[in-house]
Amino acid sequence: MKTALHLRAGAFAAMIATMIAATPALAADPALIAAAKKEGELTWYTTQIVNQFARPAAEAFQKKYGVRVNYIRADSNEVTLRLQNEGKAGRVMADVFDGTGATAALKAANLVAKYIPESANRLPDRYKDKDGYWVATNLYVLTPGFNTDLVKKGTQPRTFEDLLDPRWRGKIAWNSSVTPSGAAGFVGVVLAHMGQEKGLAYLRQLSGQKVVGLQVAARQVLDQVIAGEYAIALNIFNNHAVISAMKGAPSAWIPMEPALAVFSCLSLTAGAPRPNAGKLFIDFLMSEEGQKLYRDADYLPVDPAVQPKDPALRPGDATFRAVFMTPEEIHDNLPKWGAIYKDIFR
Amino acid sequence: MTDIEMATTERRSFLARLDQKRLFVFAAGSILALLVLPPLYFLVTGAITVEDANGARFSLERFAMLIAQRGILTSTWNSFVFAVGSAVLALAIGGLAAWLVERTNAPLKSLTYLTNVIALGTPYVLYTSAWLLLLARSGPINTWYRQLSGETGVLINVYGMGGMILIEGLLWSPLVFLLLGATLRNFNPALEEAARMSGATTWGTIRRITLPLSAPAILALAMLVFIRTVEAFEVPALVGLPGRVHVLTTDIYEMMHRTMPPDIGSASALSVILLVIVAILLFWYARMTRNAEKFATVTGKSFRPNQIDLGAWRPVAGFALAFYFLLLIVLPAFILVWASLLPFYQTFRSQAFPLLTLDNYRAVFNSPRYITLVINTLGIAFVSATVVMLLTAVSAWLVVRKAPGARVLDNLGTAPLVFPGLVLGVGVMQFFLHVPIGIYGTIWIIIWAFVINYLPYGVRYSYAGMIQLHRELEEAAAAAGATPLTGFRRIVFPLLAPSLIAGWLFIFLLATRVLSLPVLLSGPSSQTMAVAMFDLWGNGQGPELAALGLIWSLAMTCIAVIFYLVANRGGSLRA
Repeated sequence: MKTALHLRAGAFAAMIATMIAATPALAADPALIAAAKKEGELTWYTTQIVNQFARPAAEAFQKKYGVRVNYIRADSNEVTLRLQNEGKAGRVMADVFDGTGATAALKAANLVAKYIPESANRLPDRYKDKDGYWVATNLYVLTPGFNTDLVKKGTQPRTFEDLLDPRWRGKIAWNSSVTPSGAAGFVGVVLAHMGQEKGLAYLRQLSGQKVVGLQVAARQVLDQVIAGEYAIALNIFNNHAVISAMKGAPSAWIPMEPALAVFSCLSLTAGAPRPNAGKLFIDFLMSEEGQKLYRDADYLPVDPAVQPKDPALRPGDATFRAVFMTPEEIHDNLPKWGAIYKDIFR
Repeated sequence: MTDIEMATTERRSFLARLDQKRLFVFAAGSILALLVLPPLYFLVTGAITVEDANGARFSLERFAMLIAQRGILTSTWNSFVFAVGSAVLALAIGGLAAWLVERTNAPLKSLTYLTNVIALGTPYVLYTSAWLLLLARSGPINTWYRQLSGETGVLINVYGMGGMILIEGLLWSPLVFLLLGATLRNFNPALEEAARMSGATTWGTIRRITLPLSAPAILALAMLVFIRTVEAFEVPALVGLPGRVHVLTTDIYEMMHRTMPPDIGSASALSVILLVIVAILLFWYARMTRNAEKFATVTGKSFRPNQIDLGAWRPVAGFALAFYFLLLIVLPAFILVWASLLPFYQTFRSQAFPLLTLDNYRAVFNSPRYITLVINTLGIAFVSATVVMLLTAVSAWLVVRKAPGARVLDNLGTAPLVFPGLVLGVGVMQFFLHVPIGIYGTIWIIIWAFVINYLPYGVRYSYAGMIQLHRELEEAAAAAGATPLTGFRRIVFPLLAPSLIAGWLFIFLLATRVLSLPVLLSGPSSQTMAVAMFDLWGNGQGPELAALGLIWSLAMTCIAVIFYLVANRGGSLRA
């Protein structure tokens, strides 16, 4: 009898604990910090470029909380594949993942946990999933970039039509993976901008330019342009061109309209082996301190209070127009865009 | 001891011995079967099972779809052209170098050995990246061509079939050098001398005697390189894909990694097709090498192959070997050193000198991640090589001593030859996705796959060592009352050690640089050096890759030198 009572009391305590855990913790809640420290480390599947953002962010977090971040850099497809397989094998190994196109597919496979950190409360609602599955950490703006040694400033193509100029034949490259930051994303923008019929006609013309599809990240496409392999890169992250230019590289980006704007979304995995460390990490990246890391790395933070170092990178009425796509739109349309790319360009 | 007593003891020990060996055959056979068969089973069932709303059902539609797509036939043809081209080039380069070093008085022999040993320690991903930097549109060669000729185009477009063959051929030439070198070194000069005495010229002798006699070895080697190239992944991925040249292995990889959602079923189906192709090729290879004894020139007589005096051609030969060194070591090392000192990659030019920095080396040394990579890579290679050599040593012993049923061990041990690395990766992955025992994504799944992959090499080394051991020593041990196990442990194993160590080092070196298996199987905590290098290349960190690669290759070269010394002493440098 006594045991049963004890059990019931235990169950009650567990219920309370669950309820407390379900309510959002205060910013960097001491209990969360303690639990994260106890877990000691976390694994982060990231699409962020390692030396530009992933490594500095991991180091800053470790310095602040003493919790180690194991980051694995891959594109959205590979992040999805890895997590899907881990789910199938019954052993999820990542605690946190980010990407432009991974969340929706993984949500469908029950691999994403609901978690909106306390630190995100101050941010506008559009940066948080209404169902609670992701938060947006930063805005990516995808535009063409070019090599300023090979293409004199002022002679670069400025419109989609300009890209059809015969002098660019064989000199344009892009990332051929089915991701927003690749050819598929470009297909999506063209279709959204021109409509299905005109868009397809344009893409067929562009295919005549022998655009080179590289099986590498958009960052590497730009690097090859900087190295002089190609003159123009399509659908690269415009802040990457600025980062390289500041290091002395012959690179610049083109505010070709419309650009593609997408969120980098951050989520906690369902079944995360170290959920508290994962939560603390998400909380950290959404806090003002975390958002400043994006700014310092020349990325575009979502926090309106943290201005980017180069505001010209951000699309808007005063600068240039962009098509914004939500993670759901990307998930629903990406396979279609990929198929069109394969059909027309491969 | 009376006669009767002695008879009973003898019978009992005979029974004990028989049972112990049977037990061994059974145990070793079970382990090998457990390793080799599941990936095959899951690959095939994965390929022919289609899951839809009504559940799983048997279907061949994936094969029909693959064949109906023009792409697969093109890829098959590309694989074939790529493999033939690479095999011919590797044989031409490696073969010429081997002949010059082993059979002529050409200078620079030590340098050529060194070249090949360094090449053995360098990951293919790194080599491929280096040659890509050299031959790229903006690389030094094309830049100098433009400056010299005033043209605006390129001399070499590396991203295409030609570039793939060139790089793959160069990659394989060191192995051709080492394997063909061993054949040429053991060449009995009697027939050549006879030809010379009958008035044949040097070139006549080579054409009419040396070449025909080496033909089986050369053909077998060509076949080996051909098979390995059909299975190759690094060059097709890094060179072929940007040039829109697809081969079978990159098609499999793309089905797994570049389609949303990943199409593991079609990847399995295509893997089965590739498996069948390789199996047929291996069957030919086996038939080709079966009659090799007919051409045996190593007999009981002692001899030393004579060396051809090149005369006036000697400087030319020296120039050729120096060029080989330049091509395989100097140029790749030069471009990697250059790249490793840059904040962002650009071609070799004076304007870049002010930008040079050691930041990439600092990043490599300061990043705790790279220490984890070193530990993972060496740990995986160490455990894999050890397990393979232990397993195959026992198997070889049972096979050579003709234990009942031991032939099965031989077959199981050599069967994994049919698995290209990437295909085995798909199979092992399917296995552990269906049988979730908790090693998916850990280093253990990679070790598991490596052990399967390298069993055939272990068998070769163990078997070669074992047939040299006469059974009389074990019989003496048995007569002194030792069980077969004790005999193996105390007599066979120590005597087999040189072959086992050579095999161990060979597998160890291979496992530290191979990409195709770990690229599919590594999880967040089990990344290896080759995977990290592949990622660095794809993620736009070329300069850091160069710094990491140079440091790593330097360390691996030291191990390769040890391998070379051990293998040469054991006299068993054959793969």
